[in-house]
Amino acid sequence: MAPEQITLYTAKICPYAQRTEIALAEVGATFKRYEIDLANKPEWYAPKVNPASKVPAIAYGGPDVAPEDASPDSIKLAESLILVEFIADLYPSSNILPADPVLRAKARFFIEIVSSKFTSNWMKFASGNPEVTHTTLLNGVDAIQDILPDGAKYAIGDQYSIADIAFTPFWARFMLVLQKGIGSYKDEERKNFLKAIEDPKFTKFNGYVQRLLERQSFKSTFHEDIVEAVFRRRFGVPK
Amino acid sequence: MPEQLTLYSHKLSPYSHRIELALAEANVKYKNYQVDLFNKPKWFAAKINPLGKVPTITYGGPDVDPEDPSPLSFKLAESSVILQFVAELYPESGLLPKDPVEHAKVLFFMDTVDRHFDSPGNEWMGGRTESYEGYLKGVEMIQGLLSEGSEFAVGDCYTIADACIAPLLSRFKITYETDIGGFPVGQGHKLGEELKAPKFAKFMDYTQGMLERPSLRDSNDEAYLAEMWKKLITERRQ
Repeated sequence: MAPEQITLYTAKICPYAQRTEIALAEVGATFKRYEIDLANKPEWYAPKVNPASKVPAIAYGGPDVAPEDASPDSIKLAESLILVEFIADLYPSSNILPADPVLRAKARFFIEIVSSKFTSNWMKFASGNPEVTHTTLLNGVDAIQDILPDGAKYAIGDQYSIADIAFTPFWARFMLVLQKGIGSYKDEERKNFLKAIEDPKFTKFNGYVQRLLERQSFKSTFHEDIVEAVFRRRFGVPK
Repeated sequence: MPEQLTLYSHKLSPYSHRIELALAEANVKYKNYQVDLFNKPKWFAAKINPLGKVPTITYGGPDVDPEDPSPLSFKLAESSVILQFVAELYPESGLLPKDPVEHAKVLFFMDTVDRHFDSPGNEWMGGRTESYEGYLKGVEMIQGLLSEGSEFAVGDCYTIADACIAPLLSRFKITYETDIGGFPVGQGHKLGEELKAPKFAKFMDYTQGMLERPSLRDSNDEAYLAEMWKKLITERRQ
């Protein structure tokens, strides 16, 4: 049974939104993509699509209309992780969420660790928040490596899943700011992190993130030039 | 033959209480082990959860004494992850709708509970905010999501959305009735009075329904909670 129409409201800069774009690419869904200018949101967006005014959001079902003219008959859904589960549900044969409840639980637990140890910290680091140092982020890397299975390609085994989808956009943006030297942190911190991550004890993690960045669904949805330009304006360069 | 399931819990924790409710509603046989959080046994961090937190469950492996966990069982922590796991282990329980949209609504309700209800509610109860305004905004958001008829959070049967919020509903009720908390004296009673207003009727009806369900009635120990809170709360905001 083919699902109903899917319209995704998204923004190239946003790592949360990229999660949903990766998921849609993985399952091979047909959908309408509408870019929201986060600095200048259309006034119809909050009242018609997402009262929280954030991206990503999905309008599902209802008549086939232009994204700017979202119908009250479509179902509106928000929150990136919920949208990724929703997309996995609509396309169960894609296997981005395995059938086994234990593996599903491992995927969601992995996402919890990423959320608590990494997703808010990398942004604080880039904005020069003194509470977050290169050590904080290395601890995050450690926590994630701790739960990566040995000898497997991805977070819960050899099958690419929602766990990998949840993490990749954040890791990619973090690497971008470090490698290009963008951010309000002290440059010492940047160098310390880059040096520390080369330690052989992080071999498993480094192999894992390399595979994440090589994934086609990530590459086709990551607009590096745009992200770099926005981050330069937003974070400036290290002291 | 279903696999063994053991829940490590504590009466003070609304998060382990969520799992007790879901398991009760799904009619699952399981072992419930109360961890003494004030005097944690060494084996708990070593063999069950390195962070020493409840709830944690073990699933599968040999049928052993909870105090002697097997390395062969699957260990899982984080209440929202455990709730989804239980719902998926027992799909006939109805704890998670099969329809993708309804499923997403359950997850969204749970996310709203954690972010906009539990979080500000906790801040207020702990005396870390001036007023309960943030909590009341959360009440309104939850109320806005409740399905018509306000018997359940989503759809027309008990789901993990209900299990997620019910333990908090019980604790907040104790708070407004006893006024025990880190907030200024009297603010608890005042909040209770405000919630009697007609604009909160849907939320209060839903709360009442949840409290009357055998799953919550049978696992609730209001006297114990009130007594423990009195002991644990040593300072009140002026």
